[in-house]
Amino acid sequence: MTNQLEAAVLVAVLFSCGLYLCFSRRMLRMLFGFLMISNAANLVLIAISGDPTGKRAATVGADAPAGVLPVDPLPQALILTAIVIGFAVAAYLTVLIYRLYTDRGTANVSTLFEDKARGGAAAKEDAL
Amino acid sequence: MNPFGTPANLAAFPVMFPAIVALICLLAPRPSVWRRVLALAACAGLLAHACWIVSHVMNDSPLVLRLGGWIAPYGIVLVADTLAGIMLALSSFTAITCVLFGFAETPTKDEHPLRLPLFLFLLAGINLTFVTGDLFNLFVAFEVMLLSSYGLMTLEAGARESRQALSYLTLNLVGSALFLAVCGFTYSLLGTLNFAEMIVRTDVLAGDYRLTLLAVLMLLVFGLKAGLFPLYQWLPGSYSVMPAPIAAFYAGMLTKVGVYILIRIFGTVLPPSMTELHTLIAWTAGLTMVIGVLGAVGQMRVQTILSYHIVSQIGFMALAIGLFTPFAITAAIFYIIHHIIVKAALFLVGGSITKLNGTDDLSRTGGLWRAAPWLGIAFVLQAMSLAGLPPLSGFWGKFMIIQEGFTQGEWVLVAMSLVASILTLMSMLKIWLGAFWKAAPEGTPVATNGRTRAMTTVIVAMACVSLVIGFGAEKFLRIAKHAADETLDRAGYVADVRAANEILYPSKTPGATQP
Repeated sequence: MTNQLEAAVLVAVLFSCGLYLCFSRRMLRMLFGFLMISNAANLVLIAISGDPTGKRAATVGADAPAGVLPVDPLPQALILTAIVIGFAVAAYLTVLIYRLYTDRGTANVSTLFEDKARGGAAAKEDAL
Repeated sequence: MNPFGTPANLAAFPVMFPAIVALICLLAPRPSVWRRVLALAACAGLLAHACWIVSHVMNDSPLVLRLGGWIAPYGIVLVADTLAGIMLALSSFTAITCVLFGFAETPTKDEHPLRLPLFLFLLAGINLTFVTGDLFNLFVAFEVMLLSSYGLMTLEAGARESRQALSYLTLNLVGSALFLAVCGFTYSLLGTLNFAEMIVRTDVLAGDYRLTLLAVLMLLVFGLKAGLFPLYQWLPGSYSVMPAPIAAFYAGMLTKVGVYILIRIFGTVLPPSMTELHTLIAWTAGLTMVIGVLGAVGQMRVQTILSYHIVSQIGFMALAIGLFTPFAITAAIFYIIHHIIVKAALFLVGGSITKLNGTDDLSRTGGLWRAAPWLGIAFVLQAMSLAGLPPLSGFWGKFMIIQEGFTQGEWVLVAMSLVASILTLMSMLKIWLGAFWKAAPEGTPVATNGRTRAMTTVIVAMACVSLVIGFGAEKFLRIAKHAADETLDRAGYVADVRAANEILYPSKTPGATQP
């Protein structure tokens, strides 16, 4: 777990930028912010397996050179799962934002919660 | 011969079964009567199985299943102990009532074709959080649960309501990413994600600041899921826009998943010496109680008032966890048993009010005591139980929590919980006066028909179960006490999980064991 300072800095930068974007009023920025946060979390996981310098892949098997330690494979299993889940959630978020746009005619949170819809399906309902 | 191999394999049943039934439902994309029967039978099967688990582990050791046959600290284990059994029983009972209410409310042809499959996937995810014995698997279970819940929330939402999902989604997304990072930190600090192995290693690290930091992060993540102050804002808005049966299931189960995990993590996994964190939980809980109940004061819609009360009641459960004695944990578990049923029933009452009056805005409802007296009786019983009047089920839970508060000399917290109870009573009176007692305003329909009567029957049945819990409190307390003792018995948990390694080839050669 030594020499991982650059990973820590990267995670911190990604996480704070992502959080900043998540608190934005524009939904597209929220989507990008979420993608950055989930990738920051993935980076945390991959950094957990330690500095890979001088280590071999965990999947080499019988051909492995003697005396060379493998990297810890478990975080890689975790990160695969996390990437798949993050992808599914990002897909859902994209569809939700699109739906909100078609429903209310806006992709901005500050106008989303106005009583009167700007446009879209809700405005058509109001007009009826 | 047992068709499931060893009884331990039954620990996976509550996860596999609803998922398989959901897939079968997806194969028949049109809503039909047989699909409804299948979903209902699945929930009934789960309830029967959960009751069997509770009766089994009350006399025997918990069921521990090593998935894929990996040796315990390296593979994922499922652990069905008493607390998990209780939660499984509650989730399947609430599922049955909500599914039945949904059947009574909507005709078969109007049902959304994806509602039942998503509901069953949600149930599978919730059940996995109860039985899992592995932190990363818990993350996966949360995601299964959350993805289904996002889907269900926006599935039937109209153009006006869909926006409420956004705050629920964003907060949970950040929470999930944080949970993932917590998994990573746990693995780097302890070198394991298995609960049993974490118990062993946290004991060595007890008092280390890194462990405390990890515990604070876990409190943040699970407090967000449970709806603790100051992380409760997402809850009232999003719960009040869903269709009644779905909202009732969310209100009953989803936040209680967070409470269950808090009990599991702070009771079992982390060492009991973290008293300063327990104090933090207790004070957060006190604030949650008061703020939640104050939020309800200005509201006029039934579902919104009830949503704020979820927040307040979560405070009671978390307060019991924060007091952290075997007696307090018993109280918390008993309170969960009582609360899930009462809360779900009250949300269903809200759904019935909407169906009868055409709205659940209290300024435009009324006349229901005359039109649907049984609904009124069920509402009064559940509302008084929520407020904590004896001899209803809510009284015993609150009584034990307050008694424990007195024993520990936490006068301010006790006073806060009493204030919250009185304000709860006033909110319930507001709903009673607004919807049931006063005459219906001009132009408000008060229509009863076969559907509303069927809906009322479901609610009355839930009220009866609640009454049974209140009057038979001794039996339920015995189960809750057993669950609490088992949860706090950390060495016992480790021994149970390690004992599962002894069985290598269970059904074929029962004599073969690994030394």
